[in-house]
Amino acid sequence: MNNNVVIARDLVKKYGTRIAVAGISFMVSRGEIFGLIGPNGAGKTTTLRIIATLIRPDSGEIFIKNINALKDPVKARKHIGYLPEEAEVYPRLTGYEHLLFYAKLRKPGYVDETVEFGIKLSGLGKRVYDRAGDYSKGMKRRLLLAIALMTKPDLAILDEPTSGLDVYASVHVRKMIREYVRETGSSVILSSHNMLEVEYLCDRIAFISRGKIVSIGHPKEILEKYGVSNLEEAFVKAVEEAGYKYEGI
Amino acid sequence: MRGYNFKVLLWKELLDLSRDYKTLATSLLLPLIFFPLLGFLSLALVTQQPVNIAIVDMDREELHNKLLNLTFSSRDLVNRLINGLEGYGFNVYEAIDSDVVYNSSVDLVIIIPKGFTFNLSSLNSTAHIEIYRRANVQASARAEAIARAIINEYSNVVSKEKVEAIIKVTGLNATSTAILYPISTELQLVTIGGREVGMEEELKGLFARVLVLALSVVITPATSFIIDGIIGERERKTIEMILSLPLPVSLIIYSKLVAATMLGLLTAIADALGFVAYIVLTTMALGGNVSLTIDPILLLLHSVVAFFTILVTISIALPFITRTRGIRSASNIASGIAIIGTIVFFTGFIVDYSRLPTTIKSILYIVPYTHSILSIQYYVVGYTFQAMIHLLVLVILSLVLLAFSTKILNTEKMLLAPST
Repeated sequence: MNNNVVIARDLVKKYGTRIAVAGISFMVSRGEIFGLIGPNGAGKTTTLRIIATLIRPDSGEIFIKNINALKDPVKARKHIGYLPEEAEVYPRLTGYEHLLFYAKLRKPGYVDETVEFGIKLSGLGKRVYDRAGDYSKGMKRRLLLAIALMTKPDLAILDEPTSGLDVYASVHVRKMIREYVRETGSSVILSSHNMLEVEYLCDRIAFISRGKIVSIGHPKEILEKYGVSNLEEAFVKAVEEAGYKYEGI
Repeated sequence: MRGYNFKVLLWKELLDLSRDYKTLATSLLLPLIFFPLLGFLSLALVTQQPVNIAIVDMDREELHNKLLNLTFSSRDLVNRLINGLEGYGFNVYEAIDSDVVYNSSVDLVIIIPKGFTFNLSSLNSTAHIEIYRRANVQASARAEAIARAIINEYSNVVSKEKVEAIIKVTGLNATSTAILYPISTELQLVTIGGREVGMEEELKGLFARVLVLALSVVITPATSFIIDGIIGERERKTIEMILSLPLPVSLIIYSKLVAATMLGLLTAIADALGFVAYIVLTTMALGGNVSLTIDPILLLLHSVVAFFTILVTISIALPFITRTRGIRSASNIASGIAIIGTIVFFTGFIVDYSRLPTTIKSILYIVPYTHSILSIQYYVVGYTFQAMIHLLVLVILSLVLLAFSTKILNTEKMLLAPST
């Protein structure tokens, strides 16, 4: 019995002739926050979707809590909470109804406790009973994050959890993730463009470029490896060494 | 557990649908308002079309037949025509000569020529009337039909009076009815089992045809709803979290299909009620009397047929819809399927499928909608067993197609739009 919540080996995914993921391998242990960092189109979202069992890789293996996720994706999903990068709410449903719906399906025996925890995580207070369509972007994101985390899954997959949020909302979400991991001991895989966020949250990070991991380790180890003072510089060096060329805006 | 999960998924779909007032209004309220409104509007427009009718009495004669002791007058017919046609809202006036035919504002000209009363009063010649109707004027055709009915009625009155007078003069042991109508017919409507039924049975058949036609309009909202449930959710970014649930993708699809089918079913009922209201109201407005007996079993059968018709439609559309890039292309596919459905159900409205030769029926059996039509049509004519067989075929077909279409779907196909 190992301590790894996720084992991903040699994941490959092609869309037609385009290779989105070109042999990615990594492991995530219990209680660890693992960050995937890469430029746009590097393969972060595809990798996270493969781990979340939403997309089937062309080759490779994934084990979630020792369950072969490719053979039994439904069983593997029982251990996963997932927040997509561009997730949206149902505008005609209240925040409470969102939480109730997902709690009933994810933890049928513990609906009340799960919803209560979800309300606490979201920090929506009485606004949780309002229609989600009337929420601000930050409130929607907090609600969706609460849905992903309220069942205390063994693995939370968070694709750019603070995407599009203002500074205040981003800080709230980061704190929420940090406290959640400390309280539950769950593992988290997240992707982000924000190096401050990565440095603040992640125990280990992997830089991805062109569907491959070009560097992996603790943030401090990576800084030492590239001889730079911050992760942004390390990131640029790592992806450029791997052949990535910025084509401008 | 599967049943519990399905109930929770369906609860979410129905809760969302119950608050989607635009969809509910267009699917349920519109047909209830639209059909009766259509009836009233078309009736109002038809009756408001000005139809100018000119009557030219060139005879202006009154003659007394001494033998029959009867007086005949062209004025008598003119008065009947004026009163009768004005009663229907037409503009009727008397013209002096036949040149009125060249007046473009006149749609119908009725000319009573010289010698009309003479011929009418005689026993060996026929009185003649000339009718000029403006071609391609719909309202003038209706006026002409009414004028002919008035003239025929007058003709019957005159012939009856003449025959009764002849009987009186000759002292024959006869009645005018026996001479004028030596053969009479009697109609009794019966079921296929020979049971005597009233005229309401005919209306039941009409109602059944309306129900068949109503099936054509339930397909569109149901497919639109399923497109919104899959492609719409993909575009609105709500589907990914649902797909990450520890549930088979088929269960998620089933909940959406059942919600769409329930909407379609309610639409079918609203459409049928709206259509019945249209028929009843327009018939009553035209002075007719409608006594429509609604068979509750027929309504139940229609609901079940509508449910599986929608299910079969969605099952056919589903693999195509999920392989489209967006709502627009998905809607195009759905429209194509809806058009096929509309064509088939429209033929079901005008053609008695149960009477078609077996060879033609065998070919049509390939189309699932044929079984929807036959199930209702066979039931109405009393072939309950055949109706149930076709319902069963429809149920099996829809479930097989549903199983097939969900089998070839997976989370990836649901989540990602195909590349061009």
